[in-house]
Amino acid sequence: MRSQSIGWLLLAPTLIILVIFGLVPFFYVLVVGFTEWNAFAANPGAHFYGVENYRHLVFDEQLLYSLWITLRFAFFAVLSEIILGYFLAQLMMKDFPLKGFFRTIHTLPLMVAPIAVGATWRLLTVPGLGPVPYYLDRWFGIDYRLGSFADQAFWTTVLMDVWHWTPLVTLTLLAALSSLPKEPFEQAQIDGANRFQIFRHVTLPMLKPAILATVFIRMMDALRTVDEVWMLTGGGPAAATRYIGLYIWRVVFPKTDYGYGSAMSLLALYLTIVMCWLLYVALVARRDLPKGD
Amino acid sequence: MAEQPKQSGVKKTGFLPIHTNAFDRVFIGTIVFVAVHLFWMRFLEVHLPLFLATILSVVIGWIIVARG
Amino acid sequence: MHKQSRWRSFFFWIAASFITLFPIYWMFLISAKSRVEMYGKPTFLIRSFFSENYIKTLTDPSFQQYMLNSIIVSTANALLVTTLALCATYALSRFKLVGKENIFFWTITNRMAPPAVFLLPLFLLFTQAFTIGEWKLYDTRIGLILLYCVFNLPFAIWTLRSVIDGIPKELDEAAMIDGANTWQVMTRVIIPLARPGLAVTAILTWVFAWNEYLFAATLTSVKARTITTGLAEFVTVTGTNWGQMAATATLTLLPALLFLGLVQRHIVAGLTFGAVKE
Repeated sequence: MRSQSIGWLLLAPTLIILVIFGLVPFFYVLVVGFTEWNAFAANPGAHFYGVENYRHLVFDEQLLYSLWITLRFAFFAVLSEIILGYFLAQLMMKDFPLKGFFRTIHTLPLMVAPIAVGATWRLLTVPGLGPVPYYLDRWFGIDYRLGSFADQAFWTTVLMDVWHWTPLVTLTLLAALSSLPKEPFEQAQIDGANRFQIFRHVTLPMLKPAILATVFIRMMDALRTVDEVWMLTGGGPAAATRYIGLYIWRVVFPKTDYGYGSAMSLLALYLTIVMCWLLYVALVARRDLPKGD
Repeated sequence: MAEQPKQSGVKKTGFLPIHTNAFDRVFIGTIVFVAVHLFWMRFLEVHLPLFLATILSVVIGWIIVARG
Repeated sequence: MHKQSRWRSFFFWIAASFITLFPIYWMFLISAKSRVEMYGKPTFLIRSFFSENYIKTLTDPSFQQYMLNSIIVSTANALLVTTLALCATYALSRFKLVGKENIFFWTITNRMAPPAVFLLPLFLLFTQAFTIGEWKLYDTRIGLILLYCVFNLPFAIWTLRSVIDGIPKELDEAAMIDGANTWQVMTRVIIPLARPGLAVTAILTWVFAWNEYLFAATLTSVKARTITTGLAEFVTVTGTNWGQMAATATLTLLPALLFLGLVQRHIVAGLTFGAVKE
């Protein structure tokens, strides 16, 4: 028999690193969130502050606005990615020349650094330089300036996220689609079901686990988007695209208000967990579904 | 983060609309505990002190853990 | 049989690939244009390659420093993560450890946690707690190398899990009976068989470490800055030099382009924690 201690020994370095850089910061932020600690204040050390930080948090309009637009961004981005990704996956199922080549190209955005994605989109949309504002003005007479119009900035960040992450959805759903058995579809065709009925009653139920896993993963990522948006809009105009990660990073840090910043980080973490858990419960763990994983 | 796919323990069916084990119920209890406090601070603290929220959420938490 | 539909899909995918590639192509185009050519009516072809953007970037000492830092951090991180993940996955796959599934699951939570949430505690820990005398973990490459393990280790463990589980247990049991110890089983049985999987894991973790921005921007100031932070610095400076920014961005995504063909089949399985297998 193998001894257990060798197993633990092999596992130890991994666990130690994950504890030091994963768990320790978590408990640290938990503690600091209950202190008043501002490096520039009259009393710069950390001292116990009770729930005062949170009392301020729930009335912080800027923060609440930031949370609201983050949810809005994640909702629209993930929804569009799932719908678009599904259609692309269906098209990928067909047989056509150079399929592997197109698939590889389609994987490219997943490998590109988020910060470089932001840079490419900025180059596309900078007035005077990018083709997007030029042709929108030329062909449609639309005045496209990310620095001035909040709605345009918001939808451009959504579009950028769709460009960046739809391939992930496509490829996950493609993998799921190609592993589906053929018989139910043939049976449904024999029974005279039309395309929509087949989708609704055959494809969708069988794809459900894959779709849910994808929604879940994409949602987590969308809620924490920072790099691309920072590069594209810098969180602006005003605060229109200052999503929660950006808010913590760009607003809290320079103020050196560590206690309040920690409380805000914890609130963001709490909301992320709750959101994803609700999603998980609403989609996966309902009692009317057979229990499985 | 939240869910535990293969948590050991007894699956149980209470008033919550999902199958839960002990860990899930403690987790839900904690989530509710925090949520009640945050909402209390935002909307009710002007009229009622915060310790009522603590009492309320402990009671809710207990119900969830015991009956959920 | 469906000749027509074959070609219809083909042309559709040409259009889709065009959309995918256009932003990247445009960036490359800007990087190859002089300041005068950039403005006005957009042109979509390269008339003459304007190399000054690249030359200026590549000869800039601070950029060279960023590049070097990025290469060191990514390579060290990839090697460290692959080694540790191999040991960890082997342990989780072959030993009966208590709470195995929970450990597996706990590793994902590390990967899923929003980085922005951990910026502040990590910043405080790096500047005030993780210090030895005058030396701080803040603004060091070793700090980044260790920190990147937090999101790369779970990824590597989940990528390697199916690889290690795919190696028949009988093989290493047979080696054990022949008197091999754990180290010998690892080096003679597991590593040779898992080599392709290990290579893919190392490449992908390398790319993720290379791509990381938020931690690098917050936890370094001068000495350990990486190429992604160098790219972002163009934004804050007034009167952005677009050509040089495009050149830097092109250099930043070069590794992604180079490795794409090698790892594209595995990236999805890794990013979805094995929820999707291909």
